Amino acid sequence: MKILVCIKQVPDMESKFKIDAGGTWYEKTDLAWRMNEYDEYAVEQAVQLKEQVKDADLTVLCIGGDQVKETIKKALAMGCDRGAHIADDDSSSKEPFEKAGIIAEYAKDKGFDLIFTGMQSQDKGSAQVGILAAEILGMMSVSTIVDFSYSDGVASLKRELEGGVKACVTASTPLVVTCQLGLNTPRYPTLPNIMKAKRKELLSLPVADLLKVDSRQETAKIYFPEKKGGGLVLEGEVAELADKLVKILKEKTGVLA
Amino acid sequence: MEFTRDIYWNVGHGAWTLIPMYLLAAGAFYVLVKAFVKRVAVYRLGLPLERTDQPGVRLRRMFARMLSQKKVIRVQWPGLLHGLFFWGFGLLFIGTVLIVIQADFTDLFFGVKFLKGSFYKIFSIVLDLAGFVCIVMLGGLLVRRYFFPPEGLETKKDDAIMHAILLVILVTGFVIEGARMAVTELGTPLAAWSPVGLVIANGMSGIGEQSLLGLHKGTWWLHLFLVMGFFVLIPFTKFRHILTTSANYFFEDLGPRGKLVNIDLEDEDAETFGAAVLKEMTWKDIFDADACTLCKRCQDRCPAYNTGKPLSPMKLVNQIGEAAFTSPDANLIELIGKDVLWSCTTCRACEEICPASIEHVSKIVELRRSMVLMEGDFPGEEVMSAMEAAEVNGNPLGIGYAERGEWAEKLGIKSLAEDSEVDALYFVGCYGSFDRRNIAVAESFVKLCQTAGVKLGILGKEEKCCGEPMRKMGNEYLYQSLAVENIERINSYGVKKIVTTCPHCYNTLAKDYRDLDLDVEVITYTVFLENLIKSGELKINAEDISCTYHDSCYLGRYNDIYDAPRSLIAAAGGTLVEMGKNREESFCCSAGGGRIMAEEKIGERINIERVKMAVETGADVLLSNCPFCLTMFEDGVKGAEVEEQLRPRDIAELLVDRIEYTNPGKREKK
Repeated sequence: MKILVCIKQVPDMESKFKIDAGGTWYEKTDLAWRMNEYDEYAVEQAVQLKEQVKDADLTVLCIGGDQVKETIKKALAMGCDRGAHIADDDSSSKEPFEKAGIIAEYAKDKGFDLIFTGMQSQDKGSAQVGILAAEILGMMSVSTIVDFSYSDGVASLKRELEGGVKACVTASTPLVVTCQLGLNTPRYPTLPNIMKAKRKELLSLPVADLLKVDSRQETAKIYFPEKKGGGLVLEGEVAELADKLVKILKEKTGVLA
Repeated sequence: MEFTRDIYWNVGHGAWTLIPMYLLAAGAFYVLVKAFVKRVAVYRLGLPLERTDQPGVRLRRMFARMLSQKKVIRVQWPGLLHGLFFWGFGLLFIGTVLIVIQADFTDLFFGVKFLKGSFYKIFSIVLDLAGFVCIVMLGGLLVRRYFFPPEGLETKKDDAIMHAILLVILVTGFVIEGARMAVTELGTPLAAWSPVGLVIANGMSGIGEQSLLGLHKGTWWLHLFLVMGFFVLIPFTKFRHILTTSANYFFEDLGPRGKLVNIDLEDEDAETFGAAVLKEMTWKDIFDADACTLCKRCQDRCPAYNTGKPLSPMKLVNQIGEAAFTSPDANLIELIGKDVLWSCTTCRACEEICPASIEHVSKIVELRRSMVLMEGDFPGEEVMSAMEAAEVNGNPLGIGYAERGEWAEKLGIKSLAEDSEVDALYFVGCYGSFDRRNIAVAESFVKLCQTAGVKLGILGKEEKCCGEPMRKMGNEYLYQSLAVENIERINSYGVKKIVTTCPHCYNTLAKDYRDLDLDVEVITYTVFLENLIKSGELKINAEDISCTYHDSCYLGRYNDIYDAPRSLIAAAGGTLVEMGKNREESFCCSAGGGRIMAEEKIGERINIERVKMAVETGADVLLSNCPFCLTMFEDGVKGAEVEEQLRPRDIAELLVDRIEYTNPGKREKK
């Protein structure tokens, strides 16, 4: 069985962000980098599948500059067999369709039975790359999975819907799935695995070789949300206040469905 | 009359006495040695560990500890009973040796007798009293164990045999003496030099001489058999501690206290890390169980055990020894239990008090290393997250690393990257850098230094967690990654002196970092400030405040720093009311051993217990010297609902309120 997991290196969300000089993305200095959280679930599930099937080869792919190799190594330490680094110093200016194109170009001749990706990235959050890659490859895709099991070429999945409802889906391989929070608890790499990871294959491929599609969208500008209006002070008896508050939460926010 | 006695009187000094006697002794000795040789083979199941270097130092230590019984009598009840028993028995042993030397060598071959005259008088009375003291002490210990046993004391068949045989040996000793004196010494001035024997002899005066001779001879042989029996029992019972505990004094760790063994992570051949089975522990870990006499002093002081956690340091140590002798392939982690192993706060109360110099903490960390490094196992998901946060941002709180030095900007403290000409590097630590409550302490320390004219620099965003909580949790890999980065930065700036406000950072930089090539002087802020006050560079106004003081584990037991903080409190004018559990007996706040990262889910909250102890002193303020303690006490005060009664503060905060400025108008009252 051949499995692919696609990951992205993103800044840690606790970092303080600044807009870059071009005004179209964030400034890259003084940031701590890590694997995209949703991709961690993807890697964990891919490794669990490999452990179940036993006769499986698991490749981890990541697009970005040299610094993303650290993140690829973490995936290798979690249990992937080999790494594919798509070397691209300018990956943050590429849009989801380009990224999907690169992945599809890489995967098209390799016969992957399953491709795992995160549901979305923590920085861009477009939630498109996995699904677009599947479409380009002509593969079935199931997004936002919170449960995964596999047997004899058929995957049984649960997708997360609004209001805590889950949809049960079965799909045959070849298949692309995008992973959501709640799917699993990513393992902490053990030291022997961290050491083995240093010796696993990690090939760097120039992005120019794999970028065969044109971009279809462009980021015009990013900015911090403007600070709007003040607060609202509610007055009255406690029971009255509670009613007013619930009304506001229902109508003005998405807190109460 | 001559002040002496006929050794072997009535028993006979001929071959019929000597040959069986020496044969029995040889036989007993043979059994003893053979049994120990077998035990040594079991110790050797463990990995090698160098504990025979500096033999002169080790031997001196061993004899000093053995003869003074200092560690034993430290806990006076029942320690003093054992101490007196030991000295009494020691004297009896010396006495017997002197008799053997005279009777079987100097007198036999050279006709030389020294047990006579004044020497004999002293010999006689000392041994008489020693024997009596032994019986009284042994009696006391027996009564305690069987009639008033303290909670948690385990009594086994082993104990009954030991009490019985020693008691009978001692009593038969006096029966022999009494019978002899009844025949040969009653009515002579010599009798007064054996006062206890005299009482017994008087009690026997009604018995006829022939019966007395028979009683004497029979009891003499019984006494001999029992003593040989005692030697044979040594390896098979708790008696073995006579040899193993003494040896444990020899094998003590001479290195910096509490420094863990560094794992060589460059070793390409290493397949396992930490220990999960016996052959991955060291021989000392197995030997320690043999040195243990189940006195339970460690258990009595363990903060985990005393708040309902399943950890008993005594039980853990003995489980390892038991496994070595009965099931050497057992998985120790499953045998001991994960919750047991995760409960430890590495406070060292166990090791501090152990009269047998057993090393409890390193065993626990070694087993934790296996859980973390080989299985990726942690006490909870929150700990895994904290570890990952430390990997990504260099602190377990998960706050962006770039902000680490921001707290210091408004005080005018620069990072070494901006200005490396400083008097000392202030290694702030994670809590001092990111936690609001502890930033106040860091600010206080900086203000005190600035007032004294000391120029400090910080590493700022180049500083990473010292790695100590990770190391104590078992994550040696993450600890070394963090440490190596810190050391590289420190060395690149040519730092000559480092000062810390966190005892965990202090202990780690001063000891553990030496294995990773940090040679810089490291000093804790309490000693640093004490020096500044002594030299007059920092002037503090004494202003009364009722307070109590908590000795942190890592400044206290790990480094014996008990006086410097107290002198600071005195300089500040504090009226210090000590808690009962203070200094070496201080009760851990619960955040050590990496547990600052973990949630406390089992039993009662340790920090609340400690806060209650502070409240009992009636003081207004609970002073501490550690960011972990301060954090735990702020939480504990809320948990115990005593926010109005007790205010947790750091010593630095107390001092900064009392700085004597040359311009009095500048002073702020808090």
